[in-house]
Amino acid sequence: MQARTQSVWQRMLSVDRRWLYLILFVNIVIFLLAPLRMPASISPPVQKFYDEIEKLQPGDLVMISSNWSASTLAENQPQLEAVITHLMRKQARFTMISIEAQSRDISYRLAERVTKDKGYSYGENWAHFGFVPNLTVAIKGMVTDLPNTVKQDVRGIEVAKLPVVQGVKSLSDYKMVIDVTPTGSVPIWISYSPKNLTILYCPTSVMAAEAYTYLDSGQIKGMITGAKGAQEYEQLLGIKGLGAPFANTISFSHLLIIAFILLGNFAMLMNRLQARREA
Amino acid sequence: MDWLQEFLPINSLNPLIINWDRLGIWIGVLCTLAIYSLLYRENPIYRFFEHMYIGLAAGYSLGPLGVDILYRYWIEPIWIQGYWAWAFVVPYGMYLYFIFSERYGWISRIVIGTLIGASAGLFFQEFSSRYLPQLNSTLQKPLWISDANPDVTIWTVMVNFLFITILLSVLTYFTFSYEQRGAVKRVAILGRWFLMIGLGAIFGNTVMARMALMIGRIYYLLNDWLLIRVGGG
Repeated sequence: MQARTQSVWQRMLSVDRRWLYLILFVNIVIFLLAPLRMPASISPPVQKFYDEIEKLQPGDLVMISSNWSASTLAENQPQLEAVITHLMRKQARFTMISIEAQSRDISYRLAERVTKDKGYSYGENWAHFGFVPNLTVAIKGMVTDLPNTVKQDVRGIEVAKLPVVQGVKSLSDYKMVIDVTPTGSVPIWISYSPKNLTILYCPTSVMAAEAYTYLDSGQIKGMITGAKGAQEYEQLLGIKGLGAPFANTISFSHLLIIAFILLGNFAMLMNRLQARREA
Repeated sequence: MDWLQEFLPINSLNPLIINWDRLGIWIGVLCTLAIYSLLYRENPIYRFFEHMYIGLAAGYSLGPLGVDILYRYWIEPIWIQGYWAWAFVVPYGMYLYFIFSERYGWISRIVIGTLIGASAGLFFQEFSSRYLPQLNSTLQKPLWISDANPDVTIWTVMVNFLFITILLSVLTYFTFSYEQRGAVKRVAILGRWFLMIGLGAIFGNTVMARMALMIGRIYYLLNDWLLIRVGGG
């Protein structure tokens, strides 16, 4: 008995999805390795973010709330690197805090690497306050008495003895909070931090859509959205970071997925038309 | 040869010398590949590493919890600074575990009551700081050009009208106190359409986030493991 041959459309519809995964993997590898730096148009939230940091004076104190871990590295790492680079350019002091155990170690190592050999010494110009399990309680404590709430930094040094926060009694002594996070922590900063603090936000792409209401109302003054935002920020700073290769790779992966969707739908349409003709 | 020396977790001349940082990266690569093996097919290696990951994540968080929280905020104040009253705090919190007892389950409700009371109190502040400025911002949006607001352009007015239209139609969609009929129903349908567009945008961002997750892992394989510099160096 002769087996009925499949049409090209039927073969396209029954392609093993693992081939698609492989093509996507190869596509990502190619565009990560390619020395390709496509120019990005600067979106208003990123420009506002940049302008707010530009307003800082040397010595101003900034709190970075870094709550990301390995899973969102591709989006949050380029954001944090670019932000710290900008703060160092403005000679601003900064302290970091995390609400997740993994984030503490990752952000501490990253800040150590970025500040190394840049004239920024730990304790003098920056410090990491470690891990706090409940951000609401931590912010409320820091608003009242920062040294006694945080107590020790990540190296076990008493916060009151750190030169970077000498004379700092509460969170009101800071100029700015920058929340680098894949979690919904920015509403907590908006709700409980002192009103004189400028809040800037670096979310992952999935969290960004919800934050536009805060941006519109002025509760946050600027936003860097995922790797795409990091690419724009690197462009504003004139540095070569990970944001550009990551954003380019994301763009070309999206194109590939769109091509897969169009091909799949076209094949389904053609298959139906063929079946109707045969009937 | 230099690349191989840097790549391997052991010294190529003396295998007894182990580069622990490199060994950590090799283990990370093994875990990554084992987890991604699910894309090929369901397999016991994937299951093993999945369970190991859950166990490690739980175990890892215990360390910082013990050092950064329990020691810093409970043990140290009691033993070193002499704030003996803190001794009651953790046992009080642990009353929550009475929830598993049929006989003493009521004790857990005292802790739950404290938590609910504290959360309700905090929510007053949260509501005023989080939602009232948004309400204020919405009410202040200019809907026409006048001498009072000379900076407002026709484009701003159009955007503001769109904003108010979306806001009111979505609010109408979520009004369930009476049956939606006639004009109200049509406005609610418009609201549903706006919601669908919003959810579509969120889903698009979700795809981008998931893609970034995979890119992050492949970056790790290329940059940290194979020592190939990303983006052309």
